[in-house]
Amino acid sequence: MSCTVESDLTAYLDGELSPDEASRMKAHLATCEDCRATEVLLHRTVSSLRALPPFEPSRGLRRRVLAQVETLPASSWAGWRQWLRPVRLVPSGAALAAAVAAAFVVNHRIQERHRLDLAVAANYELLSDYEVVGLSADDLDVVEHLDELEGRP
Amino acid sequence: MRRVALGDQTAFASLYDRHHRSVARFAHRFVGDSARAEELTQDIFVKLYRHAGRYRPTARFKTFLFKVAANHCLNEVRRSEYRVARVREDPEDGRPLEVPAPDAESPHRAVEGSELEAEVAAAMARLSERERTAFTLCRFEGMAYRDIAEVLSASEAAVKSLIHRATLSVARAVDRWQSGAESPARSRA
Repeated sequence: MSCTVESDLTAYLDGELSPDEASRMKAHLATCEDCRATEVLLHRTVSSLRALPPFEPSRGLRRRVLAQVETLPASSWAGWRQWLRPVRLVPSGAALAAAVAAAFVVNHRIQERHRLDLAVAANYELLSDYEVVGLSADDLDVVEHLDELEGRP
Repeated sequence: MRRVALGDQTAFASLYDRHHRSVARFAHRFVGDSARAEELTQDIFVKLYRHAGRYRPTARFKTFLFKVAANHCLNEVRRSEYRVARVREDPEDGRPLEVPAPDAESPHRAVEGSELEAEVAAAMARLSERERTAFTLCRFEGMAYRDIAEVLSASEAAVKSLIHRATLSVARAVDRWQSGAESPARSRA
């Protein structure tokens, strides 16, 4: 069997060739005895296969499958989906917003503290002179306006 | 499938009722053994339930289902090769029951039906895994080449070639058997 189109014979029988390809195959079959013989063989087999009785699973299979599934947790994706439901998402969102607000406040205090530390560092000598201890945010104003407080321009 | 992914067992039962025959037929043709086909079908549906969340509506459900089924059957065949006897439970009293594994090469599988069916099963057992998968989906499930290509993650041209080689191989085996030429089925009879 050396025809180049022989490999298309099954697709031809299955109706999987384009109209042009099918026309060319039909024309080829009219002239090629080998391909015609193969086509008959394939056609006979495909028809025989269609006639085979289909396998019918037992009724017990359904019971076994459903019983096994009942013992399983839902798909792992289901867990995520549950968390994404509005009933969970809204309170979760509120909690998240509260957490963000808390983080903002903490961050603000850290920055304030940092700014204070820098001011303390920059005015360390002066602060030593005034023996300032236990600085707070209010003390920062004192530090910033030390010159004015001392009566210097 | 969205409901199944959320653990809806009624939706799963409905899915099973609609598709279990196709899956069982596929598994049966693939391994050539009724009991094993039922075990595989059970495994495939349980797997489908557990991984329902991975299904994307962009893929046709039947294609997705047979991709799961084909992969599972291929893995099972590779793992066991069906050459050793397996122990199963007696459905009556739950005691272990020794069942010989069916030999896919043997044409004498009366339990599986007609001689033609046995001959086809023997011929299919000689196909490569991909040929057997493509052949089974095409001949017994009537799937289009395009869908089979998706199941096998292959091109349509490759599927066309696989199906042609497989069909021709089975056709020649059946033809030899029908002609009575050197068939083990006939020589033993």
